[in-house]
Amino acid sequence: MTSLRRFCMTATGIAALSATLPASATTLETAFGSVEVDDDPSRVVTLYTGALDTALTTGMTPLGAVATRGGDGVPAYLSDATGDISIVGTPRETNIEAVAALKPDLILASPQLSESQYQLLSRIAPTVVPDVTPYQMDSWEQEAQVYGKALGQLDAVNEAIDEVDAQTQAIREDVADSPTASLIRWMPQGAIVMAPQIFSNTLLARSGFTVDDGDTVKEGRPHSDPLSLENLSKIDNDWLFLATLNAEGDEAYQAAKQSPAFDRLDVVQQDHVISVSGQLWTSASGPMAAQAILDDIDTAMHEMK
Amino acid sequence: MASFINRHADSRVMRSLKACRWSGASPSPVVTWGLLMILLAAIALLSLLFGAGDVGPGRAWQALSDFDAAAMHDSEAHFVIGELRLPRLGIGLVVGIALGIAGALLQAVTRNPLAEPGLLGVSAGSAFAVTLAILWGADAATLRISVAQLGALGGCLCVLAAARLQGIGNDPVRLILAGAILSGLLHSLSSLILLFDQYTADEIRFWVVGSLAGRDATDLMPLAPSLALAALLTVILARPLAALALGEHVAIGLGHHPRVVRLLVIVVVALLVGGATAIAGPVTFVGLVVPFAARALAGPDIRRTLWFCLPLGPIVVVSADIVSRLVVPPSELPLGVITALIGAPVLIAVVRRRRLPML
Repeated sequence: MTSLRRFCMTATGIAALSATLPASATTLETAFGSVEVDDDPSRVVTLYTGALDTALTTGMTPLGAVATRGGDGVPAYLSDATGDISIVGTPRETNIEAVAALKPDLILASPQLSESQYQLLSRIAPTVVPDVTPYQMDSWEQEAQVYGKALGQLDAVNEAIDEVDAQTQAIREDVADSPTASLIRWMPQGAIVMAPQIFSNTLLARSGFTVDDGDTVKEGRPHSDPLSLENLSKIDNDWLFLATLNAEGDEAYQAAKQSPAFDRLDVVQQDHVISVSGQLWTSASGPMAAQAILDDIDTAMHEMK
Repeated sequence: MASFINRHADSRVMRSLKACRWSGASPSPVVTWGLLMILLAAIALLSLLFGAGDVGPGRAWQALSDFDAAAMHDSEAHFVIGELRLPRLGIGLVVGIALGIAGALLQAVTRNPLAEPGLLGVSAGSAFAVTLAILWGADAATLRISVAQLGALGGCLCVLAAARLQGIGNDPVRLILAGAILSGLLHSLSSLILLFDQYTADEIRFWVVGSLAGRDATDLMPLAPSLALAALLTVILARPLAALALGEHVAIGLGHHPRVVRLLVIVVVALLVGGATAIAGPVTFVGLVVPFAARALAGPDIRRTLWFCLPLGPIVVVSADIVSRLVVPPSELPLGVITALIGAPVLIAVVRRRRLPML
């Protein structure tokens, strides 16, 4: 009996809630069907770095976000823009209670959010999960446009994407003869080679580089694959981008040089190794990330010349 | 001396003597040992010939046949063999000997055929100590060795304490359970640190899997003094340990001090396991498989077992390392995965025997 009463009260509550929804609502197509979102959301929680990046691009600061992989805050390249933001989980695990406590009116989640997580989150607030195939050349743009629409700021997002295009064009003119490049993370028993389809590698490709993983990243492993020391010559290209998650970039480069197998690579001998932030290059996505990565490439190309 | 033992022979001595005679029926131990050394040499050669890279056995063989000339006409092969495979072989030999001997000693002193440094939490203790050291900012390889050895000593003392507990000491499987719990505890503490401190995580993640790849051969040098000490102690302790196998009273009667002997053996095990762990990371099951095979070939006398561990340890570690390079090219599997695959069936075989042999 009690449960029946509770059910009735909840039902009335939901009915009352939907009655108070403002008339100006947008309907978005997402991975889990149509979702109605407020035209001018003010309490936004992002559960994916790409969504946080896009929100900040449009000038909106979310209330909460998830930490970057392997860190306890938002990625360093965004920390100035976010200020003191609530951390509501890690990329692997969202703290649903922390999300609910922020009383969001919009949740922006990763395209890879699971259905069960979606069911929980969508009871807190309208949850937008872009219906985008990951690891394509333009995945990040499509995602950003969905988030932009949800925030009612599609124009700002498109503007930022145009800027990225202009930046890639500028670098493309600087970079001659489409040089080969690979992006790796280093560990003492060898390298971890990042697949050509990941975000930063697609930007390298757009800027005129030929991204070469030495055919090491197998099909069905779209992110990365380890490479043993004996096979390091497979990534001995014109340029080597060396991503480090935490250590200072140059320290990581010096540590890698301790390995004779790394040190003898032509690319190392020519000092064509560029240390980059792993938070930005291997874990981030979005318009601001794209601009920051392109800045890295641009600076490196000018320094090396 | 032999007549003294015979006159006071209890059934245990009779059993061990019978076992000795049985092993004498097969080819003499000296011949078997010689054959093992030849096998080890062959495996060492294979480890120079095979790798995860483009330098295949044919090319490697040609480079090896005239190694100095190879520096000129095939510098790739010269580099891969000289700078990658040879140091790896060297580290494999040292780690194999250290873990094999440590396993045999630990089994003798706990009188438990299942006592394995990896299973009993000695490796985990050493790994935990290194995690702590890196967390507190120590990155020098030399410091890592002594820290790993101290951690291993802590693990050993826990094992010994557990072994003396009523009930556990008499039941080999229960000692393994106690060790598994200790290992689990130490592993979760290590993971906890890695979870909270991502910088440490980067430093140590490659190390906790247990592998011979990418280890610097120069790391062996700081290890030399403690390994030399361990070797010397092992030579001195072999005879008292053999006497201890005949029972505490016999050992005391022969003028040995069981407590001192046990303590020293534990120190040796800590030096060996800590040293091996510092350089290769935790590699489990080697200390179980090697003494098991050594006893099967040499009989129960600890002195002979130790002799047989010398070739058998590196045989197991180096051949596991060869397999680790060949299964998933162009990358490699961690060595610890392969040794566990070899070791787990041996563990089950030992446990499944109708009567666990008490050492």
